[in-house]
Amino acid sequence: MSDWRERATESLDWLVEATAVQRIAVSSMALVFAVLVGAVLVFVSGFVADCPDPFILLPGLGYGCYNPVEVYATMVAGAFGSFTALGRTLQETTLLLFTGLSVAVAFRAGLFNIGTQGQMVLGALAAALTVLFLGEMVPENALGTVIVIPVGVAVGALVGGVWGMIPGLMKAYADAHEVITTIMLNFVAMGVAFWLVQNHVGNLETDSVQTHSIPEVARLPATIDGSRFSLYALVGALLAAVGIYLLYTRTVLGYELRTSGVQEAAAEYGGVDAKRNVVTSMTLSGALGGVAGAIYVTMVQYRWQDGIPPLGFDGIAVSILAGNNPLGVIPAALLFGGMKSGSVAIDLSLGVPNELVEVLRGLIILFIAMPEFFRMIGKRAGYGGETVATDGGERDGGSPAAPEPESDGHGANRPARDASDGGEER
Amino acid sequence: MEGNAEASGPEDRGREEPTPWSGEEPPAVHMEGITKRFPGVVANDDVDFSVDRGTIHALVGENGAGKTTLMNVLYGLYEPTQGTIWIDGERVAFDDPGDAMDAGIGMIHQHFMLVDTMTVAENVVLGDEPKKWGGLVTDTGRAVEETRTLAERYGFDIDPIERIEEISVGEQQRVEILKTLYRGADVLILDEPTAVLTPQEVEALFSVLSELIAEGKTITFITHKLGEALRAADEISVLRDGTLVGTVPAAEATEEQLASMMVGRDVILEIEKPPSTRGSALLRVDDLVVEDDRGVTAVDGVGFAVHTGEIFGIAGVDGNGQTELVEAITGLRPVESGTIAFAGREVTAAPRRERIAAGMAYIAEDRQKRSLVMEYDLRRNGLLGCQRLPSFSDGWRIDWGRTDAYVDDVIREYDVRPPDARASARSLSGGNQQKFIVGREFERDPSLVVAAQPTRGVDIGSIEFIHDRLLGLRAAGKAVLLVSSKLDEVRRLSDRLAVMHDGRVVAVVDPESVTEEDLGLLMAGERPTGLDPDAARSEASEAVEEPAGGRR
Amino acid sequence: MNPPTVTRRQGLGIGALLFGLILLGLVVDGGRSLLADVAGVVSASYLAAAFRFTVPIAFAAMGGIFAEKSGVINIGLEGLLIIGAFAAVASAWGLAATPIGANIWLAFGLAVLASTFVALLFAVVCIEFKADQIIAGLAVWLIALGFAPFASIIIWDRTNSPSVGTFPVWEIPVLAELPSLGPLFSATPPVVLLVLAVPFSWYLLNRTPFGMWIEASGEDPKALDTAGVDVRRVRYAGVLLSGVYCGIGGAGLALNTGQFVGSGDTMVDGRGWIGLTAYLIGNYNPVGAFLASFLFAALDALQLQLQQVAGFDVSATLVGIIPYVAVLVVLTFVGRTRMPSAAGKHYDSDE
Repeated sequence: MSDWRERATESLDWLVEATAVQRIAVSSMALVFAVLVGAVLVFVSGFVADCPDPFILLPGLGYGCYNPVEVYATMVAGAFGSFTALGRTLQETTLLLFTGLSVAVAFRAGLFNIGTQGQMVLGALAAALTVLFLGEMVPENALGTVIVIPVGVAVGALVGGVWGMIPGLMKAYADAHEVITTIMLNFVAMGVAFWLVQNHVGNLETDSVQTHSIPEVARLPATIDGSRFSLYALVGALLAAVGIYLLYTRTVLGYELRTSGVQEAAAEYGGVDAKRNVVTSMTLSGALGGVAGAIYVTMVQYRWQDGIPPLGFDGIAVSILAGNNPLGVIPAALLFGGMKSGSVAIDLSLGVPNELVEVLRGLIILFIAMPEFFRMIGKRAGYGGETVATDGGERDGGSPAAPEPESDGHGANRPARDASDGGEER
Repeated sequence: MEGNAEASGPEDRGREEPTPWSGEEPPAVHMEGITKRFPGVVANDDVDFSVDRGTIHALVGENGAGKTTLMNVLYGLYEPTQGTIWIDGERVAFDDPGDAMDAGIGMIHQHFMLVDTMTVAENVVLGDEPKKWGGLVTDTGRAVEETRTLAERYGFDIDPIERIEEISVGEQQRVEILKTLYRGADVLILDEPTAVLTPQEVEALFSVLSELIAEGKTITFITHKLGEALRAADEISVLRDGTLVGTVPAAEATEEQLASMMVGRDVILEIEKPPSTRGSALLRVDDLVVEDDRGVTAVDGVGFAVHTGEIFGIAGVDGNGQTELVEAITGLRPVESGTIAFAGREVTAAPRRERIAAGMAYIAEDRQKRSLVMEYDLRRNGLLGCQRLPSFSDGWRIDWGRTDAYVDDVIREYDVRPPDARASARSLSGGNQQKFIVGREFERDPSLVVAAQPTRGVDIGSIEFIHDRLLGLRAAGKAVLLVSSKLDEVRRLSDRLAVMHDGRVVAVVDPESVTEEDLGLLMAGERPTGLDPDAARSEASEAVEEPAGGRR
Repeated sequence: MNPPTVTRRQGLGIGALLFGLILLGLVVDGGRSLLADVAGVVSASYLAAAFRFTVPIAFAAMGGIFAEKSGVINIGLEGLLIIGAFAAVASAWGLAATPIGANIWLAFGLAVLASTFVALLFAVVCIEFKADQIIAGLAVWLIALGFAPFASIIIWDRTNSPSVGTFPVWEIPVLAELPSLGPLFSATPPVVLLVLAVPFSWYLLNRTPFGMWIEASGEDPKALDTAGVDVRRVRYAGVLLSGVYCGIGGAGLALNTGQFVGSGDTMVDGRGWIGLTAYLIGNYNPVGAFLASFLFAALDALQLQLQQVAGFDVSATLVGIIPYVAVLVVLTFVGRTRMPSAAGKHYDSDE
C-alpha cells in the first residue's frame, strides 16, 4: 500500500494545499462529474420513457428518447437564451443568493444549517401577512412600496431568525446536533405554516392552501419583461454577500463567531462566549433564510402558497459549491439559478422531468464532499492523506482526539497533514 | 507462525546465508538497514537494531527521532521502505500487525489500544475471541476465565469483568500487556510506558517487566527518560534524526553520555537559575472548590498565592484537579466556592475576557484544543485572545496591519518554523506550535502567566527555549504559575512547589531540598516520613495568609 | 461534556415552548375532546396498524445503529428508505411485464438489493474517498429525493405509481380469530420480519464477535486494527447492513400500500429521520430503538385513526408534526446520547 503512495510527484502537491484555486478546481470538477453522471442518467432513462420521435436506436435496448447533449443545450438556452429566460434565471439567482448565504453563514461558523427551508417558509408567511396588513394602510405609490417591502422583509428576517435561533439554542445549551434539529424543524415549520394558512390566516374561500394575493404596492417592480425579476432584490442580495464577507474577514464579531463554530474550546480560551455565538450564528443564518422567504413572496409568488420550492435545500448545494465563501456564493447561485430556470425548458420542450436538477444538486454535494476522489483521480494516489507519525507525533498536545471542526464543507474533509513533532524541524 | 513461512521468500530457502548477527544463538529480534520514508520525511534511515532473548532493551531519542516509527515497522504497522527483519533467526516480512502477532511480537502503545466501553476480558480477546455454538457466539465465560488465569500467572491484580473506563491508567497498561500475552507474544514492545505513570507506578511496571523476563519474554521499550532507561534496561540504543547513533550496555552508560548522543551536542541538564527577587502576591486563591465536567468535586479547598518575580510550581499526577484548578483561575470553568483575586481585584466570577484584559496570559495544557485553532493560519491564531485588546482592534474592526506585525514579531522572536504567518497551525510541529503560543502570550506583556504542561509533547530544543523564557519572565518581575506533571521540570524551575493530590494541595515544599522519593509519595497522597510535616504546613499557610494586593 | 444542569433547564424551556405551541393549536381547533377520542380508537387493530407503521422507522433505526456503531454516521437513512420504497414498486411493476409475473417477494428482494447498492456507494464514498459523512449522507438523501420522482415520471409519467400488488397477510390460525385481540395475530411479512429482526440485531451486536468488532470499530478503530481485524471491512459491513435494513423498511412501507408516492417528501416523508432519532433515544440498542420507533409510529397511526372518528376536528397537519416535535423535545431533554467515540472520523491503518 505504501509504495505507490511514496511515488508522489510534485506536480500535484498544490492540490494538498487548500487554496482558493484548489477549491475552485474541486467545485468545477464536482460540477463536471455531476453533469456527466446526470447525462448518463438522462441517456439511460431515455430507454425507459416513451416518446414519439426517439433520438437513437440501440440494438437490444430499444429506442432512446433523450440526447444528453441536447438536454443540456436546451437547459443552457432555457437559462440564458433570451431576455425573458435571463430574467427568470436572475430571479432564481436572487433567491438562491439569500438561501445560499444563509447556509454559508452557518457553515463559516462551523454549523450545518439544513433548516433554511423551514426558516424561509415561515419567513415567507410572516412577510406575506405583514404586507397584506400594511398594504391596506399605505398610499398606493412608490412611497408605500418603500415602506411596506422593507418592513415585510424585516419581519420575515425576524421570524426566520427566531426559527433559526431555536436549533442554535438547542445546539449550544442542550448539545443537540443541529443537523437533526434543523431537519425536524423543517417538518414542523411546514406543518405549522400549512395549518395556519389552511385554518386561520389564509384565504379560506379557496380550496387550495394559500393566503390572499398581496397588493400591488407590496410587490417588487419587475425589471425584465416576461419575468418577475427585480433588480432591487438582486442588488440587496449582492450587498448582503459582500457584507457577510466583510463581517467574517474584517470584524471582531465575525472572527469570534467563526472561531466559536470552528473550535469551541479555543474560542472560550480566547475569551469568547462560544455558546452565545453559536446562537448568534444560527439566528443570523435563519434571518437570511427568512429574507429569502420574504423576497419570494414580494418578488415571485405575490402570496404564500403551499408547495414553496425547495430553495433552502438548493442553498445547501450553492453554499457547498461556493466553498462556503460568501463571495463564492454569487457565481454558485447564478449557476444554480440557470439550472433551475433551464430545467423548466427541458421539461417543456423535451419531456425530461425537471427533477433532474434535484438529482444534479445531490450529486454536486456528494462530489464536493469527497475531495479525496479528485486527488485519486489526479494521481491515483491518496497523497494528501498521509500523516507522518513518528515519535511524539501522536502524543502531541496530549489530545490525539482533538475534536474535528464540526463540518465545514472543506475543513472537515481536509486530511490531516500535520507532520510529526520535529518532523519539520529537520 | 504461518506468517513467517509465507513471508520468507523462496530464494532464502535451502541456501546458506552468512548470519547477519554475531554469536551462535540468533537474537530474538534483528532489524537491519531499516529505512522508512514518508513523503518529505525520512523517519528511519538505515537503522540496525538487535535484541537478545530474555533481555530488556531501551530505545531512547528525542521526539521525532524515529523511535516509534522503528517499532511500528517491527510491529507490522508500517512497511519499511528498505531493510530486513529477522525474528529468532528467521527472516520475516509483515504485511500487518496480524503477521507480527503470529510471529510472537506484541506492542503496548503509548495511547492504549483499548475500547473504553468494553470489559477487560473483551479487550483482551478482541480479534481472537473464544467462540461457542459452532462459532456463532462469543464465549464470554471462557474469555473471562482465560484472562483471569493469565493475570494470575503474572501476578496482575485485575478484574476481567470491569470496564476499561472504570480502571486506573496503571491497570489499563497491564490489560494491554495481557492482550499481547493472550496472543502468545514472546517479544513485547512498550512505547513510552512510563509517560502516564506516577513514580510508584513506574516501580510497579518495572517489577512486572522483570517478572516477564523471568518467564522468558523479551522486552523493548521506548523512552526519552534516560534515568529509567539506565535503571531498567540491559542495553540502550540511541536514535537521532532517524539514524542509530549507537547501542551501549546500560551498565557502562551515563546519563550525560546518553543525552549528548541523543541531542548531538553537550547538554546542560541543570538549569542556571538566578536567585529570585520575590515581590508581592499578584494571584491569590482562597479555599477554592471546583467541579469537573461530570459534576464531581475536582478541586477541594485549595489556597495559595503567586507572587511577582517567582515561579510557583504545581506538581501532581494528571487528573488530580490541576486541570480544573487552572481552568478556574483562567476563567474557563465556574467556581463552586472560594475566591480568586488577581492584580488586587476579586475575579472569581469575572469572565475570561476581563482576566485577559487585566494581564493574565495562559498556556493551555491541550494546545490543539484550546490555545490554537488548528484550521486557522498563524496570523488568525495570533489574534486569539487578543482580538478585543486595544492594540489589535477597536472592538469592532480588526486592525489586521498591527496584528500581522505582531505575528511576524512573535514568529521571529520565538523562532517559529516555518516562519510563515500564512501557514496553518495544523501544519506546524508540536514544538513550533508551542513556541508560537508562548510568544503570543508573552509578547503582550502580561503580569501573570499561567503555564499548564508547557513542554508536553515538545522537542528538547523547544523545551530549553520555553524554560529559558519562563525564567526570563521571572527575572522581569512577572508572576508565573507553572503546572506540570514532569517532576524534573517543576523542580528545576519553581521557587516554591505545591503538590496536588485528589483535589487538594497536600504540601508546599522547597523544590531544592525535597527528594524525588518524597515527592512521589506526596503525589500518591501519602505523607513521607522524611519530610517535616510542620515545615511543609507552615510553608502552605504562609502562602495563604500573606495579604494580597500587588503593585498593580 | 456540558454541565447537565444548565442543559436540562434550558432544554426544558425550549421543549415547553414548543409543546405549548402545539397544545395551543389543539385548543384552538377544539381539541378538548381529543382525549376521549384517543381512548376510543385504541384497540387491537390500532396496535396492528401501529406495528405496520413501525416497520420503516424501526428498520431504518436498526440499520443506522449498525452503521454508526461501526464508525460511519449514516444520515442518508431517509434516502435509503426512499430508494427501497421506489425500487420495490418499480420492480413489482416491471416484473408484471415479464414472464415471471408480479412476484412481490422478488420485488422485495430487488428493493433490498437496490438500497444495499446505494449504501455500498455511500460506504465507498465515506471509507475510500474519506468524504465528510454528514455531507455525503445528506447528498444520499437529496439524490434519492430527486431521483425517485424523476424516475417515477420517466416510468409512469407522473410522480405517483399505479397500484401494484401488496403483501399477503399471514394469520396465526385460531389466535387470529379471537374476538378483540385477533388483529394482533394477523400480520404482513414485513411486520413478522421486524419482530424477528429486533432480537436478531440485539444478539448480533451483543453476543457475537462481529458485534464486538462493530463496537470496537466505532469506539477505537486503532485498537481493533492492532488486534488484527480489518477496520475497513467491519465498517463496510456496518454500512451495508444499514442498506439491507433500510431496503426492507422502505420496501415494507411501499408494498404495504402497493403504491409509490413520489410527490413532496415522497411517501417516506421523514420516517428515516425519525428512525435516526429513534436510535439516539434508544441509545444505540436495537430494542430501545424499536420501542422508540413504535412510539412514533403509534402517534402516526393515532392520527389516521382519529381522522375516522366522526366529529373529530383537530387538524391532521398539526397532529402530523407531533412526532417531530416529540423528537425535538427528547433531543433537548436527553441531550446528546454518547456517540461512539470514533463515529464520523476516517480511519487510515497505514498512516
